[in-house]
Amino acid sequence: MGSTRISLNNLSAKFLMVISIIVASVGFTIGAAVIIQDWFRFQQSLEEKSLLLAHSIALSASEAILQNDTWSLHKNLRKTALRANGNERDTGILSGMVLDPQGVVLAHIDPANNPIGLSLSPATAVDKKAFSESLQAKTAKVFHGGSLFNDPFIEGIVPVFSDRKKIGIVRLRLSTVELYSQARRSAMTVLATTTLLVLIGSFFGALFSRRLIKPLTILANGMQSIGRGQFPDLPLDIFDKKGEIGQLAKSFKWMSRQLEDKKQLEDEMAANEKMVALGRISAGVAHEVNNPLAGILNCLDTLKKHPDDKELVDRYLPIIEKGLHRIRQIVASLLGELRVEGKQEFSDPSCLDDLWELALIEIDDKPIQLNWDNRLDKEVVLNKHRVQQIVLNMLKNAFQVLKNQGTVDFRAFRDGNCLVLEVQDDGPGITKENKDRLFDPFFSTRPDGTGLGLWITYRMVQSLGGSIDVISEKGKGTTFQVFLPAQQDKQETQKETA
Amino acid sequence: MKRVLLLFPVLLSLLFISVRAEERKPVRFGLTAVVVRENLRFFDDMADYLSQKMGRPVKFVQRKSYREIMDMLESGKLEFAWICGYPFIQKRKPEYLKLLTVPIYKGAPFYRSYIIVHHDSSYKDIAELKGSVFAFSDPDSNSGFLYPQFFLTTRNFNFNQFFRQTFFTYNHAETVEAVAARVADGGAVDSYIWDFLKKTNPQIAQKTRVIHASSLFGFPPIVARKSVSVDLTKKMTRALTEMNKNPAGKQLLNTLHLDGFGQFSADIFDDIKVMAEKIKNRQITSSLDRLNGTAKP
Repeated sequence: MGSTRISLNNLSAKFLMVISIIVASVGFTIGAAVIIQDWFRFQQSLEEKSLLLAHSIALSASEAILQNDTWSLHKNLRKTALRANGNERDTGILSGMVLDPQGVVLAHIDPANNPIGLSLSPATAVDKKAFSESLQAKTAKVFHGGSLFNDPFIEGIVPVFSDRKKIGIVRLRLSTVELYSQARRSAMTVLATTTLLVLIGSFFGALFSRRLIKPLTILANGMQSIGRGQFPDLPLDIFDKKGEIGQLAKSFKWMSRQLEDKKQLEDEMAANEKMVALGRISAGVAHEVNNPLAGILNCLDTLKKHPDDKELVDRYLPIIEKGLHRIRQIVASLLGELRVEGKQEFSDPSCLDDLWELALIEIDDKPIQLNWDNRLDKEVVLNKHRVQQIVLNMLKNAFQVLKNQGTVDFRAFRDGNCLVLEVQDDGPGITKENKDRLFDPFFSTRPDGTGLGLWITYRMVQSLGGSIDVISEKGKGTTFQVFLPAQQDKQETQKETA
Repeated sequence: MKRVLLLFPVLLSLLFISVRAEERKPVRFGLTAVVVRENLRFFDDMADYLSQKMGRPVKFVQRKSYREIMDMLESGKLEFAWICGYPFIQKRKPEYLKLLTVPIYKGAPFYRSYIIVHHDSSYKDIAELKGSVFAFSDPDSNSGFLYPQFFLTTRNFNFNQFFRQTFFTYNHAETVEAVAARVADGGAVDSYIWDFLKKTNPQIAQKTRVIHASSLFGFPPIVARKSVSVDLTKKMTRALTEMNKNPAGKQLLNTLHLDGFGQFSADIFDDIKVMAEKIKNRQITSSLDRLNGTAKP
């Protein structure tokens, strides 16, 4: 029961996990796509900004370059840069300059370090590359200071033409710091949104999986109840009647009802059988007791008529005594079974060996050979009194069948999950007709037998959850085989007994 | 005759209307880089003041260069102008300008030319600026172009090859800016403007320092077209020269950092005339040298 619940819980947990993983992976994939798209968008807008600014400087630069109007050139450059930045502290513009086609500085945002009228002297390798690219530029282009995701700056390069002659180059370098912080901010937003969506998705996933699993749990619990022999009334209304689970629930309900009917029928049959068996036993007891009683009453009647006839007394008293003994034997057998049923004691297989002595007493001085072979491990636990009774009954039966001479083999061994107790004799064997009635109460082939020994044996084997088998052929001896479950659950046995 | 008599009042009224129209037409007053022109609200106040004193609207007109203002004076688009001493002394045929009044600065109608450099630079003498970038204000400015040219020439430097690069800002204040921003290593400015900026815009002016000051020159004068009526000329002269005699005028003069306007002889500009002539002769000589292939570097 408990294990079933856990496995169902696992199913719902798995469901939740799978839903969460799907939602999360979809969410994060979309998130990543948005972040990357944002990155490219920001980068593109920065590229456009650098080109736009460079173009706007180039537009006014043309005339100033031609007129050698350094101050206007500088003012325009500075104004554009300042306008773009909003304030001077903004680090958006890293540098801006106007060069002549040979690379001489015509105007520079930082004239102190880049003197006008001198050739620009780039310090770093990247600056040198940007410088030579700008000198070669024939059309506007963007120069990147680094790789795709590690770009320290973006530079717009716009050559200035007058009458199709290149008269200068405008270079405007923008910092990517803003780009990175923008991208980071957007990434944080996307991640937060995605995480929230994943959480919400998982929450609904959990609700959904619970809803989905609940009918299964109810069905499973229902099946458990059936296993225990109860027939619960399922709350069918919680199932979607058209869905697969609804169908399953309907089928289950139908099956449960069928099983209930079947069990009722079986119970009735069992009760009938019990009545029949009781009737048979009663009839048997009545018949068995009636025979000696009739003899005893006859004898007593005769003795009453001839109270002084000593010969008659001597003849009839032993008969009366024999009849009463017979009755006592029958009653004792019935009582014996009842007595044994009440007792519970467990032991290792050595308890079987105790029967050896008893068997020898039964054999007395008859020329019967008994071979004893007990191979059961010490770990095996046996319901002592019952198993002893079973084996002893089988041995007694064998000795009686052999009459005066023969061989009896006792074997006990383990076969997989079964314990096998075997008693074999080399007696006359059993006819087919007799074999079918062998375990009926009061069936006996011997005139002095009660016919209860094998019936009791059969019942006890059944009560231990085992089975009994007879292998016999006329003239070739008989083998009784008792199969018992190897793990004899004490409680179960007690329950069965109760 | 009757008809003529009838016509007379009509003519009279027409004359009257035209005089009235003349009176309502604004007097145009040209401004050049000799004053800080960026203070627009001040010149609105100044125009209001002059209008009130003269009984006619006065309008200030600004152009980028001296040349443009001079052209406007010549073509009659301006009645008055505040120009530099250098354009004033240049010969014109026929002469169309007359001197009206000269501002009095620090008690006299004089100013100087300053050679300035960036405050943090190591320049101590104008000679050290050889091969540097230099900013002039206007090709027609005395303090901002003529004087440094003259000074270098008298010290036997070839002015045309002395600096690596030169440019005009057309504004003394912007020359100070160019030096402060290190676009130029040095610049030539009007002492009045530099002192003015030092007080009104110290964060820029303080980034520069003066390494050379010229001798005194006649302060940039107020001139009038000769064709302007005597009446109007007199009104303008009186309005300006009497500014320091009333509180409103005094306040305007204080804003300009001037003591007043006075009437002086055109002789105070003779020094500029001499310099200009010397430069001209030198230029002719040097261009002749160039033609003869005897120019020295």
